[in-house]
Amino acid sequence: MEGVAGVCAPEQVDARKPHPEYAIFRRYYTQEVTSAIEGARAAGAAQMLVNDSHGPMRNLLLDELPSDVRVIFGNRKPFSMVQDADGGFDGAFFIGYHGAAGDLDAVLCHTYTPSVIYDAHINGVRCSEATINAGLLGYYGVPLLLVTGDRTTVHGVQEQMPWVHGVIVKDSIGNSAAASMVPQAAQREIRRAAQAAVRAASGARLFRFDPPITLDVGLVTAGQADLVATIPGFERIGSRNVRFVHDSYPVAFKAFVATWRLGSMAR
Amino acid sequence: MNVYISCDMEGTAGICSWKQCDPSDVHEYPVFRRFMTLEVRAAMAGATEAGATRFVVNDSHWSMRNLLFDELPDGDELRVVSGAPKPWSMTQGLDASIDAVFFTGYHGKAGDCATLSHTYSDSIYSVCVNGIACSEALLNAALAGSQGVPVVLITGDRTIVEETMRAMPWVVGVTVKDAVGFSAVNSLTPEAAREAIRAGAREAMTRIETARPFGFDPPFELTIETGTVEHADFIELIPGFTRLGGRALRFTSTHYPTVLQAFIAATRIAAAADSIA
Repeated sequence: MEGVAGVCAPEQVDARKPHPEYAIFRRYYTQEVTSAIEGARAAGAAQMLVNDSHGPMRNLLLDELPSDVRVIFGNRKPFSMVQDADGGFDGAFFIGYHGAAGDLDAVLCHTYTPSVIYDAHINGVRCSEATINAGLLGYYGVPLLLVTGDRTTVHGVQEQMPWVHGVIVKDSIGNSAAASMVPQAAQREIRRAAQAAVRAASGARLFRFDPPITLDVGLVTAGQADLVATIPGFERIGSRNVRFVHDSYPVAFKAFVATWRLGSMAR
Repeated sequence: MNVYISCDMEGTAGICSWKQCDPSDVHEYPVFRRFMTLEVRAAMAGATEAGATRFVVNDSHWSMRNLLFDELPDGDELRVVSGAPKPWSMTQGLDASIDAVFFTGYHGKAGDCATLSHTYSDSIYSVCVNGIACSEALLNAALAGSQGVPVVLITGDRTIVEETMRAMPWVVGVTVKDAVGFSAVNSLTPEAAREAIRAGAREAMTRIETARPFGFDPPFELTIETGTVEHADFIELIPGFTRLGGRALRFTSTHYPTVLQAFIAATRIAAAADSIA
């Protein structure tokens, strides 16, 4: 949701402490998703699954979505933002994505849990949420076709996955301001890009990490690392750094989810 | 002789309510943390009379900052492990340098008809190793056993004392109270409990030579039943756990410390599920 056109402040995307602005921006969010669906549909996409992947993951206005898609709604999914990636899909879109924790000029940048994750690397590659999530999709044979968000986010994804179509809906000015397209223009652009991305799907490649998967996570505090390091299989490699190595990407992905779930319990 | 004391609180004489064990409580907790401390001191006194020369005392309850340092004996021969979270929780610092282990203030396992019964966390409905239902005492005793160290003393309510003595017949048990349901007890007075604990500790020191390290047979199969499905959802994220059902999981290893580590991690991540999604 942070990468939706116009979004520049936490109140606009915080479903837990609803602010009047949240009601406005969840509609823009829903409309950007709808635009992507319409564009894909125009290019021949037959079936679509939409995974609400922000905050408590209950943001989409369900009665404003096209009626012929399925929706994953709700929190605490083991595969979180890429739940059901193993569903035999031909391609994936990332809508409303944002920069990785620590990115310069990236509105509301973070990686899964801002209070817990300082940074994440897989096999030495610096990871945004898009990187981690694309890795799971790639594992299941699903190529990423489209990313929308701010310039930093879109460029970050295209550096790692040059075949991905991008819609830059805004330029972030630091962490809390943006020079943005208006929502209607962003939606038009997303519809157009989604159509083009699906048409060009045959040229897309899979983004995969080669096993063994080495997950390196930097926590924000040493206390969080204390907790995460107690998970069997995790190695403490620094006061605030843990490592997990496994041959299976889905296992490593779930271990990453466990990292921020458990890390959030540090006092 | 180097004695390790893992001291919990719920099994202290007189305790019958979470209020008495909750560090945020300003009325009852200050009274009972002192009784807890004095029971530990009584165990140390008895052990010293029977030849113990060094102690590691591991504060093993809640915040793990309950012991009143002023009420513990002075001296270089005592180390106190304080604070939480500790990687090994109730068994932090329990290694092969220890000659014998005491469990003081222990309580019944989750599901027991016993005062404040639970196993590490309220999210645990039951926990078994190799099909054997485990209390905290049994889980922790097996960690001691993995280091070659026997448990020789347990103090607490009748349920946990008798169950532990059945599993480890060499252990001296000091029953300081009988449960009258979950939130009431028929108890010795704190002073009488301390006398009994001091005598029990003296006796326990004489058992060290014949006591055996406790252990389950490898490979170890840890099975956990959780209070809710959400607890199990979170535990399933931990590598190595297999989901057996809505509220049931399994973890196996040939290395017991890894099993205890997995169990402790499970209790901690399950707690994250307690807030509303």
